[in-house]
Amino acid sequence: MRRTRTIRASVAVCVAALALALAGCGLGAGTAPGHVSLLVTRGFGAQTLISNPAPKIDGADTVIRMLERNAKVTTAFGGGFVQSISKISGGGGSAWFYYVNGVQAGRGASSTRLHDGDHVWWDFHDWSQADSIPAVVGSFPEPFVDGYGGKRLPLRIECTQPSRKTCSTVEGVFSQMKILASLGCLLCSAANQSLRVVVGPLDTLTSDPAAEQLTGPPARSGVYARFTDRGRRLELLNQDGHVVTTAGAGAGLIAATRFHGQPPVWYVTGTDPAGVSAAVQAFNTQTLDGHFAVAVVADAAIPLPDAER
Amino acid sequence: MTYLRRSTPLHAARSSAAIAWCAALVLAAFTTSNPLVVATLAIVVLIAGAAASVGRRVTRSLLLSLPMAVAIVVINALVAREGLTVVARLGNGGPFGQLDITAEALAFGGEFALVLIVVMEVAVLASAAIDPDEVLRSMRRVSFRSALTATVATRMVPLLALDSRRIGDAQRCRPKPGGRLAIVRAVTANALDRSLDVAATLEVRGYGGAQRPRRLARALSRHDIAFFCSAALLAALSLAWPASFSYYPTIEAGSAVHAIVLAGALALAALLPFTQRRGIER
Repeated sequence: MRRTRTIRASVAVCVAALALALAGCGLGAGTAPGHVSLLVTRGFGAQTLISNPAPKIDGADTVIRMLERNAKVTTAFGGGFVQSISKISGGGGSAWFYYVNGVQAGRGASSTRLHDGDHVWWDFHDWSQADSIPAVVGSFPEPFVDGYGGKRLPLRIECTQPSRKTCSTVEGVFSQMKILASLGCLLCSAANQSLRVVVGPLDTLTSDPAAEQLTGPPARSGVYARFTDRGRRLELLNQDGHVVTTAGAGAGLIAATRFHGQPPVWYVTGTDPAGVSAAVQAFNTQTLDGHFAVAVVADAAIPLPDAER
Repeated sequence: MTYLRRSTPLHAARSSAAIAWCAALVLAAFTTSNPLVVATLAIVVLIAGAAASVGRRVTRSLLLSLPMAVAIVVINALVAREGLTVVARLGNGGPFGQLDITAEALAFGGEFALVLIVVMEVAVLASAAIDPDEVLRSMRRVSFRSALTATVATRMVPLLALDSRRIGDAQRCRPKPGGRLAIVRAVTANALDRSLDVAATLEVRGYGGAQRPRRLARALSRHDIAFFCSAALLAALSLAWPASFSYYPTIEAGSAVHAIVLAGALALAALLPFTQRRGIER
């Protein structure tokens, strides 16, 4: 009887230990992820404060712990909220926000673990017009290489005009980076657990509810630009939400957003096919690097929000 | 209220001097973040308790404060996110996020727990070695009615405890004793009755029209001076010369020599008044 009890207790202890190990528990700092990079900016990426392609990491760090190792940081609420980085403090309608692989995390920085290849971007910006910017394009080629939240998702390029050259050009950009992508028409896939890159003029995207957000204010889309006049005009906004430039034919836009918690969707779009072509030409790492979104007007790439007042 | 006048320097000092000395010890514990200094203060209060002949009571306060200290260390380790040296990973804690135990959070919790231990030791020492009547008497000039109310209330507590014991004894003599709620109800009703009686008595004796009393001139004794000086020295040392020690994001201790000298100076300043044994008799 006593022996049976001992065996049961041993099995229970082993099961508990196994459960703890599977839950990511353990002694020590754990294994450090590789190829992590850190970017700290202000003003929607306008000014770079820290750009570290190989920041110090010790073990299975969280986003906030990695930041504290590599920058002068003050925190609040027991270390769960970043108050200041490099002596730039939040308040007065501005605060620190962070993006991992171009996707705004749904959790606090002290709850987000780092994974291999993560690009962590902290930006200090005004949130009066958009308190949430769900996705940005400035970490390109992330999230297409390493996904987000430690999970890689398949890439699907959705073209509204598949026969046009723009679609194959975008596909070529990804294939050069050795990122596998499947081609398809708009919202043809039943599965919604894939990263989508939508290519086509905005007036052909009317059936896509996520694209419809691009006709609204930044509070809806997280993009400081909006299409008006049934997609024939593109208004570029500054950080206060005021229209700075109104572009007509030939204007393009590269922006990322999310719809109801679905994976991020990128738009390479424009006011007309010429605008889409202009956006496709700007669809590369150099142009997108460190920007929340990019508009292309008269062949010039304009980071958004538009800095002009 | 378990104050008993004993023949010790702390009992011989006037209440304001003893309170200032106790407050200075608490101030020193809060102003320094160095665990060595705080631990020294905890030991100093134990020694002071022994020197005031209430050592057993002060030591017994550890029975209450130690479990609380352990709880503080554990909670801080689970809640704080500021440390960088991870010693254990407890996985995802749902709404609490990633539960990583860091050395810094453990150390900070430990230091805070030591401060709590010092505060509780000092509180027990003060309640055992400072005459509560004298404290209330000294408050008369500040707020006469508040002092009177506090005096009456503190006298009522042991009386009500005696009431509850008597009622409980009487209840147990009955064939079917009632529950504790009945005793509480009876004691509460008694308390209200007594308070009315006390209020009526106070009014009849003219307490309602009492004026602010005159200051009672009393020369400072050698013990008063010693404890006032000790309090001033403790406050000055802890405010003007704190030993630096930061816990977050990584533990950074200041000069060890500074901390040792400060701990020694605080211990000396706190315990010196107890060496004066003349005039401690009741």
